[in-house]
Amino acid sequence: MAETTATGTTSEEWQPKIVMFCCNWCSYGGADSAGMGRFQQPPTVRVIRVMCSGRMDPVFILNAFLEGADGVLFSGCHIGDCHYVNGNYKATIKYKFLKAMVNELGIEDERLKLDWISASEGERYAQVVTEFTEQIKKAGPSPLKPEGVV
Amino acid sequence: MDIGDCYVGWATDEDIRTRGASGGLVTAMLAAALEKGLVEAVVVLKKLGEFEAVPVVTSDPEEVKAAAGSMHSVPIVLSRYLEYGTKVALPAKPCDARSTIEQAKRGQVDIDTTYIVGLNCGGTMHPAGTRDMLDVMYKLDPNDIEGEEIDKGKLIFETKDGKEHAIKIDELEEEGYGRRESCQYCAVNIPTMADIACGNWGVIGDLAGKGTFVEINTTKGIAILENAINAGAVEITPADDKGKAIRAKVDGAMMKVAAAANEKYLSPIEGSHLDYYMNALANCINCGACKTVCPVCACGETAKCTEFSSASDTYKMSLFHLVRFVHLMDSCIGCGQCTDVCPVDIPLTHIYRRFAEPMQEEFEYKPGMDMTTPPFFGVDLIEEGH
Amino acid sequence: MENEEPRIGVFVCECGVNIGGYVDTQAVADYALTLPNVVYTKVNKFTCADSGQAEIQIGIKEHNLNRVIVAACTPRTHEPTFRACCKEAGVNPYQFEFVNIRDQCSWIHMWDREGATAKAKDLVRMGIARSMLLEPLEESSVPVDQNVMVIGAGVAGMQAAIDFGDMGYNVYLVEKEPSIGGRMARFDKVFPTNDCSICILGPKMVEVGRNKNINIMAYSEVTDVEGFVGNFEVTVLHKPRYLDTDICTGCAACQEVCPVEVPSEFNENFGTRKAIYIPFPQAVPLRAVLDMENCISCKACEKACEAGAIRYDQEPIYEKLKVGVITVAVGMDAFDPLPHNNYGYGIYDNVITTMEFERLLNAAGPTGGHVVRPSDAVEPITVGFINCVGSRDVNENIYCSGGVCCMFSIKNAQLLKEKRPETNHFVFYMDIRATMRGFEEAYNRARDLGVKFIRGKPVEITEKENGNLIVRTEDTLKGEIVNVEVDLLVLGTGLVPNQGVRDMGSILKLPRSTDNFLTELHPKLAPVDTTTDGVFVAGCAAGPRDVAYSTAHGSAAAGRATRLLSVGSAPIMGITARINEDACVVCGICVDKCPYGVFEIIGTNGDRHVNVVEALCKGCGTCVTACPTGALEQSHFKSDQVLAQVKNVFLYGGE
Repeated sequence: MAETTATGTTSEEWQPKIVMFCCNWCSYGGADSAGMGRFQQPPTVRVIRVMCSGRMDPVFILNAFLEGADGVLFSGCHIGDCHYVNGNYKATIKYKFLKAMVNELGIEDERLKLDWISASEGERYAQVVTEFTEQIKKAGPSPLKPEGVV
Repeated sequence: MDIGDCYVGWATDEDIRTRGASGGLVTAMLAAALEKGLVEAVVVLKKLGEFEAVPVVTSDPEEVKAAAGSMHSVPIVLSRYLEYGTKVALPAKPCDARSTIEQAKRGQVDIDTTYIVGLNCGGTMHPAGTRDMLDVMYKLDPNDIEGEEIDKGKLIFETKDGKEHAIKIDELEEEGYGRRESCQYCAVNIPTMADIACGNWGVIGDLAGKGTFVEINTTKGIAILENAINAGAVEITPADDKGKAIRAKVDGAMMKVAAAANEKYLSPIEGSHLDYYMNALANCINCGACKTVCPVCACGETAKCTEFSSASDTYKMSLFHLVRFVHLMDSCIGCGQCTDVCPVDIPLTHIYRRFAEPMQEEFEYKPGMDMTTPPFFGVDLIEEGH
Repeated sequence: MENEEPRIGVFVCECGVNIGGYVDTQAVADYALTLPNVVYTKVNKFTCADSGQAEIQIGIKEHNLNRVIVAACTPRTHEPTFRACCKEAGVNPYQFEFVNIRDQCSWIHMWDREGATAKAKDLVRMGIARSMLLEPLEESSVPVDQNVMVIGAGVAGMQAAIDFGDMGYNVYLVEKEPSIGGRMARFDKVFPTNDCSICILGPKMVEVGRNKNINIMAYSEVTDVEGFVGNFEVTVLHKPRYLDTDICTGCAACQEVCPVEVPSEFNENFGTRKAIYIPFPQAVPLRAVLDMENCISCKACEKACEAGAIRYDQEPIYEKLKVGVITVAVGMDAFDPLPHNNYGYGIYDNVITTMEFERLLNAAGPTGGHVVRPSDAVEPITVGFINCVGSRDVNENIYCSGGVCCMFSIKNAQLLKEKRPETNHFVFYMDIRATMRGFEEAYNRARDLGVKFIRGKPVEITEKENGNLIVRTEDTLKGEIVNVEVDLLVLGTGLVPNQGVRDMGSILKLPRSTDNFLTELHPKLAPVDTTTDGVFVAGCAAGPRDVAYSTAHGSAAAGRATRLLSVGSAPIMGITARINEDACVVCGICVDKCPYGVFEIIGTNGDRHVNVVEALCKGCGTCVTACPTGALEQSHFKSDQVLAQVKNVFLYGGE
């Protein structure tokens, strides 16, 4: 039986909600390339655009989990390709901390993922989204998701 | 005098020598620093009672001489007392010294104008806990206490009638009394990060109880000690090898005890980590006291942890703490203050250590030991040296 | 305007069938109208068309909108269009919010209309939440100093300098070598036309020297750059030549008497030069330079110099120059096969590089134009050329050096064959990349002349007792292993970033790509702009390219830079970092984190505070993330604006 969620999604199975942060120059461009190339992917990801992966504040990611994200992806330019010299490199430092923290907190650490996607990697973008969605589907709804949130 | 030198020293002033602990070297050195203009201010601990003291900033050498330390003190945030750049000297337990260095990294303290006079520390006790302990374990009235000391693993209280009352520390801690939990697993006993490290460990022979063992760690350490010698306030003699060995042995023994405590208190959580942390933090009333006292946090009233969380949040966990976990993972020195002040008795230091310990190990970063930038705020990942 | 109650209009684009075919756009618009502060929605066939933009402007006027949301395609291409549209109608362009429901919905969920529509509603809701918090921003501008700096005086830098000079701007042309001219001055001929390189470059060098708007600063290096677009302060180090260049006439009398001989860099270390020397006969400026490291202080040159120009006590001079724009044209290096002894280079005498071959071929070179092999100075009969040395190789560099090495080998084989028809030539290649105009013809010409092309990457080089080399490779067209004996083997070395590229990358905060060359602002649409406003890049500093391409690049960089110079002011983006001084505790973390030097701590003791130089800010927001207190915010990407989006991904208990 198909169930209809509040926003009208009809689906046979549970669809996770994933928050994804993309840098303007590479990974958001990668999302655009995925669109241009019509690389199909599950409608599970909500993209938030920031200028650089270096802007991805732990506060955003923690807040996403507390609000009910089943998974959080964040993405920027490949190391060495940052539009702002080395913002992505600085992001990896924050990621290390977040990853360790999520792990200790007891949220499955596969719910948080950092991946570099360049503006030309539309197909890879779709692949990252698809694989991450599968991963989260296996993990099930996030234990931090507040009651009644979709 | 060189960095790395070790001496035994004492105050020349008869009064200071007899009133101050271990020959009054620290008191004499601080007073001389003020008198000779090496510093403009000295931080001293003013006793509120037998078990409590507050830090006070003074420019009066007499006040320095009059003050006496207390083992119940907690780290202070120097920047809350003094303007940046003030030439100041402060006596500091290892956690005081480490927090001061962390504050220096965050631009709150000018490390070049701050003379950190380190004091060996084997742990401190919470004032309220001490009163309880006297009542339950020693059957003594806290108001009858005149002095206290630790000797051969025993905590000894002297009462006004001149009697001594001793109980083994192990025994006390088994019952949940004695040193703060954070002090029990703290492995930094000798303040090697301070400009000069002082204590009574390693003072032997005739000088035992009458001298202070000092180790010079920095050029500022040389400056403050030489200043006191030149002023005629202090006399020193080189420490002998036997003394050094004894000091190292005491330190080593304390570290072993700390490691055991660490294993005991921070043993892996059994069952769901998430349930553990949700339960532990469930009672948090968002008062922010833990943030206010945190000696490594440089934020003022506005801070990311408070700015984006609110008491009305209905999240399963406190965003305030989650943000603080991240911010302190590399910088928490485990001083125990947050636990001390928590009005709903959340074992915060214990929780924060659980996040901090693996990260500090991974980055091989020990906060407050030197001026290395905390990895979280660094520009480079240290291990890759990019 | 700031405190006005938000009145939001949502325009949902069908983009023909691109969106409308896969997303229920009307349902999205209807949903938007149920959300707080949304007072008007409209579905447009093509929102970006004139008609669609007119509908936005009418909507703004009729419904008194102060926030506009367009749910359409990507902000990366269309944001400027809609910002301008809003601005015209009186809505601050920064209170326009773009929601991407094409690349994020219709195109990637083509067979899930309901899923795509639901997601579009979520995205619109997130956009509306963000839009409520958007603040009006003004773009400011800074004046642009009318002086120009060009760093590097190879062919790209020279062209840029000439163009700037001809347009009337004062140019400082900084070159680290004692003469301008760069790599091209060392080539014998240039492909595909085989012109004599110095014969066509020489006049251009003279043109630079004569241009009264160009100040040539040869034997000088840029050591530091401060400031920002329009207002750079560049520190230039003038290295001592140990002579007064105003007096020196370039007569070369000093060079004749100097007793010290050292390997000649200009001739790729074949042959020698003196310790005091004229760089090469066509040098500009035509002045001697004394290499103090090799000088034995015999003072013979001082005696020989009739003009009395020698100054042994000269010191390095640091000069600070104010310029409005900077063009970086620091060139490249040829790949060095010595460290890994590629193909026996450095082990076998008769394995040389293309650049060495160029000098041997050159009539003004160390052998007077006779190509001889190093082991016995005999003119070779059979010459092998290996392409892609250090390029297209996972062990060295994976990139192709733009066909430059292919063409070098083709040209050099052809030239020697023409000069000495008795010679035989083998070019070992993986693919011939003869892509530009006239290249294929040059390739055909070489084949017609009898140059043999063997498709295969040699696997082994062995040396015979007579110094000949056996090249072992698979001929992949024939599918068989061949062993070719040659007298001389020339390595077609690729192009790699040089020290100048690395230095400029760090001094000017220019990002470098995975190939380590400088990165353009956009590889296709902004090929000479960089991420640092007011700094442009030309020639090989931004990747391997040939002479024609580099020259065009030089002109392009001058043209792009002149936009700023002629207008006289440069815009500063609105999305920069701002500081809330009350919350700032002067911890200094932002100072370290910012790659552009936006922040500095000024004042002493109680007056210490962080100064923000907004014009330097590129708007990455890394500092905001690093700031522990939240005192820093990035305009238009404020934390609460981003968090509003995060919170609106989710719905509590349904609508």
